[in-house]
Amino acid sequence: MANFVRVIQPGLSTTVQDLGRPSHQIEGFPESGAMDKFSYKLANLLVNNHRNSASLEFVSTGPTLRFGCDSFIALTGGKVNATLNGQPILQNEVVEVVAGSILKVGPVTEGNYGYLAFSNGGVITQPVLDSRSTTLRTQMGGLDGRALETGDTIPIRDSVVMPSLTSRKIYIKHELITEIHFVKGLQWDLFSQKALQQFQSETYQISEQMDRMGYRLNGQKLDVPEKSLLSEGTVFGNIQITRDGSPIALLADRQTTGGYPVIGTIIRADLNRFVQMKQGQQFKFVMTDMDTAVEKLVQQQKIINDTFEKWYAGRYVEPIGPIRRDAIKIARLIRANK
Amino acid sequence: MMDYSYFQVSEQSLEVEFPEQINVEENKLIQNIARELIDQDAVGVTGVIPAYHTLTVNFDFDLTSFKDLVDQIDEIIVNSNELTNTGRSIIELPVCYCPKFGPDLEDVAEFASVSVEELIKLHSGTDYFIYMMGFLPGFAYMGSVPERIAMPRLEVPRKSIAPGSVGIAGAQTGMYPVESPGGWRLIGRTPVKLYDPARPQLKYRSGDYIRFVPIDEAEYQRIQKLDAAGEYSLNVIKEGDVDHG
Repeated sequence: MANFVRVIQPGLSTTVQDLGRPSHQIEGFPESGAMDKFSYKLANLLVNNHRNSASLEFVSTGPTLRFGCDSFIALTGGKVNATLNGQPILQNEVVEVVAGSILKVGPVTEGNYGYLAFSNGGVITQPVLDSRSTTLRTQMGGLDGRALETGDTIPIRDSVVMPSLTSRKIYIKHELITEIHFVKGLQWDLFSQKALQQFQSETYQISEQMDRMGYRLNGQKLDVPEKSLLSEGTVFGNIQITRDGSPIALLADRQTTGGYPVIGTIIRADLNRFVQMKQGQQFKFVMTDMDTAVEKLVQQQKIINDTFEKWYAGRYVEPIGPIRRDAIKIARLIRANK
Repeated sequence: MMDYSYFQVSEQSLEVEFPEQINVEENKLIQNIARELIDQDAVGVTGVIPAYHTLTVNFDFDLTSFKDLVDQIDEIIVNSNELTNTGRSIIELPVCYCPKFGPDLEDVAEFASVSVEELIKLHSGTDYFIYMMGFLPGFAYMGSVPERIAMPRLEVPRKSIAPGSVGIAGAQTGMYPVESPGGWRLIGRTPVKLYDPARPQLKYRSGDYIRFVPIDEAEYQRIQKLDAAGEYSLNVIKEGDVDHG
């Protein structure tokens, strides 16, 4: 059986992503990886994958795919109205797919980025520098370093059983956020008191210059420190103030080094929601401290860990039923007779 | 002992900051801390970015902490005397210095009040230390060119620069690994493909030295053909460990 999905419609810019290649930043390669790491990890969790299994990340409009094999999938992240063979399917829960099915993801109606995970190890394109993540700017990873195109085949593994199938769902509350928390950046003290106050009272807006490298923000311009800086390593979520006084938030495909002063860094627990903000959306930056930032991230990860533990505790235990090998055989027989 | 301090950038990253200067000794220490963290397979460290005067360390907070890493890095720095004298790698990079490939060659010679031949001798007679990698895949931030030829960058950057172009921007010199806009004064070009998405492993890394070797156009064509066929490799000179005495 052919183990792939075929691309019927690629969507706007659908790419293969995992957790990126952080260990190659030393050589100047962008970290890359999923923009919304919470939704990405959740999708993997739903289909019982390793947290670093590669998924498809789509933006604004998702792809239409035909399955060449059986699989279990999960859709997470930005809100979509997806259908499987014409029937609506839900997000944030595992969905069984049989070979020949057509999945239509369609437009993202809330947020920007969505994730599609496939069971049994996800997308298995050849890793490049230890990662399957696509970096469009350096033409690396995924499918020849580019976004999906019509007619592409995406290699996945066939799978017919999923432990705790019916309980693999999670409720994710979509809330409109108007505050983004940050911790002080290394160059915080270089800014004038006026600029620092302004940064925290200004209502910022996501500008039209937004992509996987970063989001430029519209708002009143800040006074920029006169001191010119040597370039330093960048971090996911750094907020740089460019020469004209406007902030830019550095995201997954950011350059590894930068020379603009960093006024702050968006906390990890808010970054997932930040990257999902649409152009024109307004918000304020609110300062927090590192302990709070860490605690919020721990709480967020706890959602994922607790859910997994719940499923694990409720999983199919071998001595009671047929062993897994037999379960797969039975599943295939039932499938063949359908 | 050099002054340095730690700053926690985010939940899972920190920066070690040394005095803000472009200094080979200081940067070598930073490179060595970075290498040591990688070689030791330091628990929880997911990636490091050495820059001119800073080292960014990303980590997984499920496996380590800011405090543990501070202790670990302190210890590396305490033992750093043994690390800083570990010899050096010089990578020889062939460059055709001619107006065809280096449209600013004559302007830079005029700026320096030297002949083109002397300019080539000055630029290729220095080994350049790679302080950091960044900006583009394979882009090396290197210094320092002899003061006399350190011409500032163009007022108006070029929209497109051919891959392999070698340029000067003040005290910095470097190669454009891929086609890109840029404002550096172009004085030549290397026939060697510095970044190939199909084979993304780079030919040099931060902490190495680059030595430019002047070649003529015939040699340029020859190397380019060999390189395209995958039959050319750069000459690397390893200078052994310095005697600790």
